[in-house]
Formats: sequence, structure tokens, C-alpha cells
Amino acid sequence: MIAIQKDDIDIGALIVSAKKRGTGAIVVFDGIVRDDDIREIELEAYEEVAVPELEKIATEAKKTYNLLSVDIVHRIGRLSIGENILIIVVSAGHRQQAYEGSRFIIEAIKAGVPIWKKELCRDGDRWVPGEHPHGSGSGKKKDF
Amino acid sequence: MSVKVRFFARFRELLGTDIIINPGEAQVLKELVKGIALRNKEGYQAIFDENGGFREFVILMQNGKRVETTEADTIVVKDGDEIAVFPPVAGG
Repeated sequence: MIAIQKDDIDIGALIVSAKKRGTGAIVVFDGIVRDDDIREIELEAYEEVAVPELEKIATEAKKTYNLLSVDIVHRIGRLSIGENILIIVVSAGHRQQAYEGSRFIIEAIKAGVPIWKKELCRDGDRWVPGEHPHGSGSGKKKDF
Repeated sequence: MSVKVRFFARFRELLGTDIIINPGEAQVLKELVKGIALRNKEGYQAIFDENGGFREFVILMQNGKRVETTEADTIVVKDGDEIAVFPPVAGG
């Protein structure tokens, strides 16, 4: 399952469906809204480009790390502290492939998939700066 | 001729999004974006530098494909194009 959606996802069900024949390891990455003195975060995506990008990353990870299955669910909309942002479930024959494949996927998402997040704080809001060698374009902190 | 321009994240807050433009013939990508950005001073300054060039971190797409900002003054927009303008991504 590759998706960008507002709703949360049943991680247990993803794990069950990831147990393909030959599976020896499943790695779950669950990115969570951290309490960095914020109230909530708000996520936005260019979905028409982001979903195909996620599919491309999943295909590359499967091929490179011999993964048996890959699920990526990235949430958008407004999320509270402790909620799931991004769930990646990969299965493989061996743990090394599963760990490395999972790591490859999260790093590829952070590097290039058009998704942005904004932290909503008690004293204002701020866009989380993306990684770029020439700057972030996040702007200064803005008051409500 | 009709072209849709989509801004995301901070750029969207400053300039809006899903803006339909009817550019003239031989309109280049850079001038198209600049024309919209000039509607809001802060939006313009977020995307363009003091010399009128795209800031180095700005990302441009034409119909879902990345376009180098350094080439945006030679790329002519076509009818039905979707242009996207956004800052560095920060998902995950």
C-alpha cells in the first residue's frame, strides 16, 4: 500500500499483510509528531507528484534490498503530538535487508518527495525548513 | 491558452494556489511566475532575489517534472501546462 491520506492506518494489519512467503524479518518505521513545544503540526503534499514518487522509491528499494513487500503511508492535514505521520513497513528474508531498505526509504522521502510540514506553536507558527544546500526558504517565524 | 500555477507551503500562504493564467504567445516560465509573484511583495521576495532571479532553493515543476530555475527564462509555457513552485521539501 502506497498512500498519502488524512486518516491513520492500522499498523498491525500492515504487518500481517507484509508476511509474504520467505519473510524472515519485518521492519516498521513509525514517524511520530514530537512534542517540541508545539501544539500541532500541519502537513501538505503535492499529491499528484508525491504518490508516484513514493511508488518509485518503493520499487527501487524492493529491487536494491530484495524486499518482499513495501508499504508507505504518509499522512497529511493537522496532527497532534503523538500521532503517526509516516508509516513504512518492509519485509525481507533477512533483517539486514529489511533495516537497510527501510532506512533507504525514509531518507529518500525526506530528500525529494514534495511534502511540507508546519509547526503550530503557542507563540506563532513556522514551516519546518527542508534540506537544501543553498538555504531553506522557510521564512521567519510568523505570528498568528 | 490556459496555464495553471500551483504554489505550495509558505509560497501558497503568500500567493494563493491553483491560479489560472491566460498568457500571451511565447510567454516564458520565469516571467509567468514573476507576474503572479508581483501581486504580493512578501511572496515575490520569498521566491525572487534582489536581481530578479529565482532564489537558489526554489523548486519548479512543469507538468510534474522538475525544471531547473536557471532555464526558466528560456522555457515557453504551453496550453494546459501545470506549473508548480515550492520551497525545499520537509516530509517524513
